[in-house]
Amino acid sequence: MAMASPIVSAEPKHDKLRQLGIIALNGMFDEMDAEGVLRQAVDDLLPGDIAMVSSFGADSAVLLHLVSQVDPNLPVYFLETGKHFAETLDYVQTLKSRLGLANVIALHPDSADLKRFDPDGVLWETDPDSCCHIRKTEPLEKVLAGFGGWVTGRKRFQTAERGVLPHFELTSDDRIKVNPLAYFSNEDIEAYKARYDLPDHPLYQEGYKSIGCAPCTSAVADGEDPRAGRWRGLNKQECGIHFDFNGSIAKPVSQSQLTLFKDGEFKADPWRSWAEGDEASSVRYTHVPVSVFIEHREAFLASPHPIGLQVDPGEKVEEVADDLSRFSSVAINFPAFGDGRGYSSARLLRERYGYEGELRAIGDVLTDQIPFMRRCGINAFVVTNIATRKAIEADALAEVRLYYQPVGASREVPVGTRPFLRRNANYT
Amino acid sequence: MYRYDEFDAAFVNERVAQFSDQVRRRISGELTEDQFRPLRLMNGLYLQLHAYMLRVAVPYGTLNSRQMRMLAHIARKYDRGYGHFTTRQNIQYNWPKLRDVPAILADLASVEMHAIQTSGNCIRNVTTDQFAGAAADEIIDPRPVAEIIRQWSSLHPEFTFLPRKFKIAITGAPNDRAAVKFHDIGLMAQTNGSGEIGWAVYVGGGLGRTPMIAKLINGFVPHEHLLAYLESILRVYNRYGRRDNKYKARIKILVHEEGLENIKGQVEEEFAHIRGGVLTLPQEELDRINTYFAQPAYKDIGVVDIDIEREKIIDSAYGRFLENNTFPHARQGYTSVTISLKPIGGAPGDATADQMDVVADLAEKYSFDELRVSHEQNLVLPHVALTDLRAVYDALVEAELADANAGEITDMITCPGLDYCALANARSIPIAQDISQRFASPERQKEIGKLKIKISGCINACGHHHVGHIGILGVEKKGTELYQITVGGDGSEDAAVGKILGPGFVAEDVPDAIEKLVDAYIEKRESADETFIAAYRRLGDAPFKEALYGNG
Amino acid sequence: MSKILTGNELLSGATVYLDGHGNWVEDLQIARVFAKDESEALDAALAATKATGRVISLEIEDVEVRGGLVYPHRIRERIRAEGPTAPRFDRQHLDEDSHVSI
Repeated sequence: MAMASPIVSAEPKHDKLRQLGIIALNGMFDEMDAEGVLRQAVDDLLPGDIAMVSSFGADSAVLLHLVSQVDPNLPVYFLETGKHFAETLDYVQTLKSRLGLANVIALHPDSADLKRFDPDGVLWETDPDSCCHIRKTEPLEKVLAGFGGWVTGRKRFQTAERGVLPHFELTSDDRIKVNPLAYFSNEDIEAYKARYDLPDHPLYQEGYKSIGCAPCTSAVADGEDPRAGRWRGLNKQECGIHFDFNGSIAKPVSQSQLTLFKDGEFKADPWRSWAEGDEASSVRYTHVPVSVFIEHREAFLASPHPIGLQVDPGEKVEEVADDLSRFSSVAINFPAFGDGRGYSSARLLRERYGYEGELRAIGDVLTDQIPFMRRCGINAFVVTNIATRKAIEADALAEVRLYYQPVGASREVPVGTRPFLRRNANYT
Repeated sequence: MYRYDEFDAAFVNERVAQFSDQVRRRISGELTEDQFRPLRLMNGLYLQLHAYMLRVAVPYGTLNSRQMRMLAHIARKYDRGYGHFTTRQNIQYNWPKLRDVPAILADLASVEMHAIQTSGNCIRNVTTDQFAGAAADEIIDPRPVAEIIRQWSSLHPEFTFLPRKFKIAITGAPNDRAAVKFHDIGLMAQTNGSGEIGWAVYVGGGLGRTPMIAKLINGFVPHEHLLAYLESILRVYNRYGRRDNKYKARIKILVHEEGLENIKGQVEEEFAHIRGGVLTLPQEELDRINTYFAQPAYKDIGVVDIDIEREKIIDSAYGRFLENNTFPHARQGYTSVTISLKPIGGAPGDATADQMDVVADLAEKYSFDELRVSHEQNLVLPHVALTDLRAVYDALVEAELADANAGEITDMITCPGLDYCALANARSIPIAQDISQRFASPERQKEIGKLKIKISGCINACGHHHVGHIGILGVEKKGTELYQITVGGDGSEDAAVGKILGPGFVAEDVPDAIEKLVDAYIEKRESADETFIAAYRRLGDAPFKEALYGNG
Repeated sequence: MSKILTGNELLSGATVYLDGHGNWVEDLQIARVFAKDESEALDAALAATKATGRVISLEIEDVEVRGGLVYPHRIRERIRAEGPTAPRFDRQHLDEDSHVSI
């Protein structure tokens, strides 16, 4: 009797990528070598199969300049939402001619959709998510299928959520996102603009640092998060299109090489484990064991690179409690599912030491343990077990979603009329 | 007793659905045995020698008639018409089939029962005094707090993969009938200087291959902080308990190796962090749970005492039953009746489905619908009016459940041994049968008085042999069974671990050996009032060693 | 020392033995007795059985053949073959759908 179903493996779409592996790819370029990154993508990785989307916003000039250097014929899509500032539309023309961009294509919202959902043009006021959907996501989806990869202008510094952005990412539907400016800081952008004498967006000097559609963009104060002006007051930070070009139409089989499950999907994992020969001052996207961190604490604290922490069973998170803000990710190692020490480590990190970043489970991560891990505050899972992967993909984790005992995770809400000790799962 | 509300019911039903799915995945081959084993164990499903065994939790040993009837129904429908009550106040079925287990669990859920955490390296079913809520000597009914602990420990996300299993026992009476000092955590009700009732917490007790008496870690923890204190102990154990050797993984070893003071320091430090937090038990919640355990509607029946000596003359069998199988009740005119599951020549702790039904009927009619399972593998009708005693007795006689041997030499704790258990090295049940036949005579048992024999078929000590006044441990030696005999153990508040006096005996010689110990005791005791264990404490090993092995 | 291969069938939990035809059967007396020099065959049978996932708690047991009967060395195995001794109960039996072969 056959025990496990055969694993259906997809035709590899990006041979080059498969060969190199996304992790290796991400290690190939100097952090500031934006042009090298873009050239690799356009010439080598995805020739003829890559495009970019530009908002022609406050800092779009830098990436567009890079594109003009690497390939002026690269398709550049502009989401003509119908809600842009007049200054933005002027700016599109300015950059086109100034940089010699030969292939800028405007994408318009579907007129039937507009008529049906936003006849008065004020949807942004009541339901900004739907407005973005009609005016950005849908028009973009129509062209997405035509390309295997996309160039984005995302930068790590822009918001806290983007703190660990790599150069290359694989999306859940097996596309490559290329982020040449991932490591650029505000100062780097300014320096680049100055070096090539790039024109600013007309509104930039007026305090608009991140510019989208007119109704949803306001100026930000000095020192404020640059994207704070987008959707101000609406508790909305991403318009959806950066996060995953095609998030809801994931093709699970084709992403079977991704093992990191987070935020409801399998996604590219920029992280690696600490290895023999690594240097504290130069590693990045590396989970550093507690003992190594303690030994080279000064060097790690001085390093500008994103680093994470690996907590093995028996290690005391107390010993690094003061430095937790230094880590963009903490990996709790469960070398065997029966070793439950990681649950205590996770709860202490979350509940006692207030660690709020990514907390991932690595090792023997199985479907039947994931609900317990979640309750202890773990929010990302590196899954290599096939049955577990299937259960996650089918959203069929066998679990009891009623709890008798409170833990510190805030997503658990009291249920029933007698709430002591009783909690309900509330993940989404 | 506690009644499920919609939350408890939904919780247990979800758990049944979860396990049904796990069984389905196992049968389809999606789960390997290595992956499935811990999951089935968490639902009480073991693989024993001849078949699966399902262990069903009887939380703190309390049942109602509806639940007992369901246990009978399960025995009939899915098993072979009987069940085995255990020292953990649970019941085990010896012959279920894997495919039927989800249905069994669903049947159990329909009467507010489950098999959650009856195995695995998690917090097991909380056990208590079988006379809880009835006993005359009780300071407080421990069942409300036991229920709160049951809830807190159910599928606790942090403590489901402990280094090893974890057992908590709780007693509300100073006379310990729950062997709390032989548990990972033992809780004994205490009154503090201001008259408040709280809990003395003992930690690190246990039997098995390294028997240890629990040590007092905190003399008084008030109700409101009890869960936080337990969580502190569990966290220290989860983080620092040994995982390199399963024989050294219980908390007793951690406490022993690190020292009580060290562990206490760690627990208190943890407690300082979480005390007063989300686990603080509100008085309203305690009050709410307490109402479930309110005293039943006792009646003033006029009769306050029974003249046992007179009854003995009229009907000696009934008189003996009254003498041995009733226990002083807190309420005048009532008594707690022990239903012995130790018939002469029977398998200790076994009850047939028909017997379970009879017991359920009696509980419904004569005991306010309440039943208990004792850790000594008997059943208890906790609240029987003295005026109903004769009727209860007559019904028990009819059902062959009227063995009047509670507390006597034939009331033995016995593990299933090598007749059923995959871990055992030797059989236990035939030894118990031989001993009970040897001492079958009521006169002989009365002459001997209170004497606890406890039999285990291997070093894991499920039969509590270490704490038997006389303990018997089965071992395998060169393909045959051999039995070591210990003397002087005590599971009560005067906790002691028995001593081996010399080489073991083959099965046929065990009854003789026991008889020699008994004879030596009767010969040497000061009076019939001096029990075996008291005489042993006064006399020491020597006379017993001599009785077993002669003079040289 | 001669060996037999034994385990418990997944669905019923029943004690089963590997016979000479690759079937897992209830009767100890028709179990395949592996001679000392058949350890490769034993390992192969063990691996093939593991691959089925249908026999659990697999064990290799020492036996000898006494007067034509297979006699396990361990008392535990003799009880497994017979069923509980006290009180005497019949063993668990395989169901229609629980016959396993390799």
